[in-house]
Amino acid sequence: MIVSKNWLSEYVDLKMPLDELTERLTLTGLNLEGVETVGKDTAIDLEVTSNRPDCLGHIGVAREVSVLWGTELKKPDPQPKASGGKASGEISVEITCGELCPRYTARVIKGVKIGPSPQWLQDRLKALGCGIVNNVVDVTNYVLFECGQPLHAFDLAQLKGGKIIVREAKKDEEFTAIDHKTYKLSPGTCVIADAERAVALGGVMGGADSEVSDDTVDLLIEAADFDPLSIRNTARAHHLHSPSSYRFERGVDPEGLDWASRRCCELILELAGGTLYDGVVEAGAKPEPTGDIKLRFDQIPRLLGIEVPDAEVRKILTDLGCEETHVCDHCVKVVPPTWRADLTREADLLEEVARIHGYDQIPEDVGVRMAPSSRSRRDIVLDRVRHVLTATGFDEALTLSTVEPEQVEAHRVWTEEPPLVTSTPVLRRANALRQSIVPSLLACRKTNVAMSNPVIEQFEIAKLYLPQPGQLPDERLVLAVASGRGFLDVKGVLEAVVSDTVGHTKTLCATGSASAKNLSSTLLESSRTAWLSLGDVKLGYIGELSAKGLDQFDLRGPVTVAEIDLGPLLDGAELIPRASALTNYQPMSRDLNVVFDEAVQWADVEQIVHTAGGELLESLAFQEVYRDAERLGKGKKSLLWSVTLRSSEGTLTSEQADEVRDAIVSGLSKKLGGELRA
Amino acid sequence: MRFWSLDIWTLDILAAVSLQDFIAELDSLAGEAQDAFTGAADRDALEAARVEFLGAKAGRLKAVQKGMGKVDKTDKPAAGQKLNSVKKAIEQAFEQATGRLSASDGKAKQDAFDVTLPGTPVRVGRLHPITQTIDRMKEIMGRLGFSAVEGPEIEDDWHNFEALNIPLSHPARDPLDNFYLSTATKTAGAGAGPDGKPLLLRSQTSTVQIRVMEQCIANAVASGAQPPVRIVSLGRVYRPDTADATHYPMFHQIEGLLVDKGVTMADLKSVLRMFCQSYYKRDTDDGSQEDVHIRFRPSFFPFTEPSVEVDINWQGGWMEIGGAGMVDPNVLRAVGYDPEEVTGFAFGMGVERIAMRQHNITDIRDLYTNDVRFLAQF
Repeated sequence: MIVSKNWLSEYVDLKMPLDELTERLTLTGLNLEGVETVGKDTAIDLEVTSNRPDCLGHIGVAREVSVLWGTELKKPDPQPKASGGKASGEISVEITCGELCPRYTARVIKGVKIGPSPQWLQDRLKALGCGIVNNVVDVTNYVLFECGQPLHAFDLAQLKGGKIIVREAKKDEEFTAIDHKTYKLSPGTCVIADAERAVALGGVMGGADSEVSDDTVDLLIEAADFDPLSIRNTARAHHLHSPSSYRFERGVDPEGLDWASRRCCELILELAGGTLYDGVVEAGAKPEPTGDIKLRFDQIPRLLGIEVPDAEVRKILTDLGCEETHVCDHCVKVVPPTWRADLTREADLLEEVARIHGYDQIPEDVGVRMAPSSRSRRDIVLDRVRHVLTATGFDEALTLSTVEPEQVEAHRVWTEEPPLVTSTPVLRRANALRQSIVPSLLACRKTNVAMSNPVIEQFEIAKLYLPQPGQLPDERLVLAVASGRGFLDVKGVLEAVVSDTVGHTKTLCATGSASAKNLSSTLLESSRTAWLSLGDVKLGYIGELSAKGLDQFDLRGPVTVAEIDLGPLLDGAELIPRASALTNYQPMSRDLNVVFDEAVQWADVEQIVHTAGGELLESLAFQEVYRDAERLGKGKKSLLWSVTLRSSEGTLTSEQADEVRDAIVSGLSKKLGGELRA
Repeated sequence: MRFWSLDIWTLDILAAVSLQDFIAELDSLAGEAQDAFTGAADRDALEAARVEFLGAKAGRLKAVQKGMGKVDKTDKPAAGQKLNSVKKAIEQAFEQATGRLSASDGKAKQDAFDVTLPGTPVRVGRLHPITQTIDRMKEIMGRLGFSAVEGPEIEDDWHNFEALNIPLSHPARDPLDNFYLSTATKTAGAGAGPDGKPLLLRSQTSTVQIRVMEQCIANAVASGAQPPVRIVSLGRVYRPDTADATHYPMFHQIEGLLVDKGVTMADLKSVLRMFCQSYYKRDTDDGSQEDVHIRFRPSFFPFTEPSVEVDINWQGGWMEIGGAGMVDPNVLRAVGYDPEEVTGFAFGMGVERIAMRQHNITDIRDLYTNDVRFLAQF
């Protein structure tokens, strides 16, 4: 709301410096957006919150000033002289859609002389950045900016049948507005019609063929109230936002209609001449008067933390226009003014007292009670996960929660449900709530490659949105990584994540993707992809990108990606580790080199080693795989590893260590056909 | 070399050498010796240089020393002093050269070890600046007794609107201001919440407050108590803004909530001040800390009454940091609290805005582009 300082000074004393004026208005609810000099006037731009439509006119702002400085508010009392016949003889008004337009009033002026507005009026409107049209239209705008009630002037001669019918638009009804564009309307829109056609979009915009032109002689002055929601929908649907729709969207003072209409007519008679017809033609009803609201004095310290003297409380409320109906030792009851539809409850009155008394009166150094708090399990575990990843050289990325729908289809890993989609794309084409973070990280990788960044190692911890019909979706917190390192390097990082969280009980298991039924991804190379689990709990997957996957993101390989569900790690993490006693006897170690068929997997070997090694096996360290068709034979490989053995009862002898080794070898031979090589 | 030696020998037989000449002679000798020792590539070369300059019989230093006899008697102490210092310098240069050669001894034929080469790089990753900002906020609020909680990003009508005192007619529900959800295919019930109304991406983290308060009341249902709540909720929120330097359709919020008997707006102001004093810890020139003050300006939010914008003093003016207010009695009632028994305050701040100002980030989109060069700066 832009306020002209000259104009404002008509209603209230403005002797205070401009800075003081704007500062106090800012601190009481009208935030200063800017000040500009326009000719000899000063335009003050004030932000008005949506609950305060009363301040969308100069008088409303003047009222705030008068309350704050304790000065008088000088509001005009328009009494235009009606010297013509009965207005009701000239026009009739009917409302058929009371829910869209609760009240409509019309006055008639005949014999006006259209011409330019006087300089003072032009200056005022120009200060607000409002266009100048002619004396009649300018007056309707003037009154709008004076009191906040939008008005419309029709060329009475263009209204067919001497009728105003306020009705809902018909489906696909066409309407040509003042901007000479034709709009196709739909039900739910309120139109002002004459006997034949729509002549205005109620509260939003007038029509082209009933507008006031140079040839206009007779006028119908409309002052009405429209339903805020319907006005908002209409203005949005047709991109017709105007000072008028802005005010109706927020609600006008139902009691202010008549004042605005009289004020408008008074100014037209003064500036354009003509004869006002007697009376107002109206339809609809005024809203029921609101009852009184009680404010208990003890609620002020209870909510605000400060005392405000009863007398001041009462003065603030009455200054703001409330009518006091009761006062006693512990409460005051008031009827709020009709222009303050936002005041309906005790809390609302309390806020008025607080802002006028001044929020600066509230102390900022009271002793707030202490309370214990501790970090959540989630935060502690996620911190550990992040530490492992940054320590192993990964940067954290944060990416948008939605992706383009094709990206969901290309990589279906967690669910077969179609993704949830947003009504409008969140960004460009990204309207599908993601079901994997990997495509988002690959898109980041593409951006980084395009910038020739040499090392791109990224991870993200975020949610997947897996739909569950009739319920909130499963928002699954996952860790995803995208790396230029190889499969085993990334697997090592994940093993570290697992070991740093749930490592005391569980280890990460990988199974080839051939056994995975649900994996449906064109991004991954299936022969180099594995499912990850913790015991029986499915954890996620790791894999290298397929040629197609690399191609889709303009990447040159190799790229390894992985994604694991953090739920099991959050649940199973041991937050407070417990120590166990260490053995101080020397360990023994043995190296093993065993030849197997290609089909034999390390995981099976490892399991047998553990079983056969029994209690003495302290640790097992894989070393390498060796292939040599000539020496080992075709389809064979040799696995090399070492075992560390230790007893809690004494230092092991060489023979004891050999015994364990032999048991391992024999187990491997029996179950996996392994042959000791050296 | 030979030629020079001869020359010095010639000096020897001249009578009455001036002090000046003697000193110049010594200086020049010192310089040459230094060059010869430093330039020696191996032990043999160094030995040859040693014999030339420091040789006990025919060394050049010895030769010059002999010339001291020709110096005027009165100048002798000064000449002696100079001689000693030069001798010391030459011997020192020789020792250094010896040390240098013996250090690479044994490897002389192999590669020389260059200690000045860069260390083996260790790549340490960085946390995203938004994570770092959130961590700091949680840590400070934790010390003030507020526990961090999380909640769903996809919400139903009740938690995002109804319980927050945002009725059906409220503009905040406009489809153009929210991301309502549906599914691509017509699976029955998908995209709708338990109440059958469409789900949406939450537009504020206040939804978590509703969930926490509901939970607290549910836990206390047997006793009928009105348990206190003291939380911060953090996370992603979504609003249909066109992306530009200062807007992004996804951003993060931190919201605080304190519900208890006797909570006032003075508590709100004091907690916010303590938070800001910790977060914007500013040291002045004399080592003391600059005072942080909180300013409230009236505002309007459906879920608080009174509602205020919160400013802090900043570079001689005021800077807006977020919105706050006393929890609206309708909100308390909606989740089962009795507004006659308890009161509460709530506040909310945008994480990006605070992080950007603090880290001098000028374009919010940079936060979500994830260029590794950008991330490496934090």
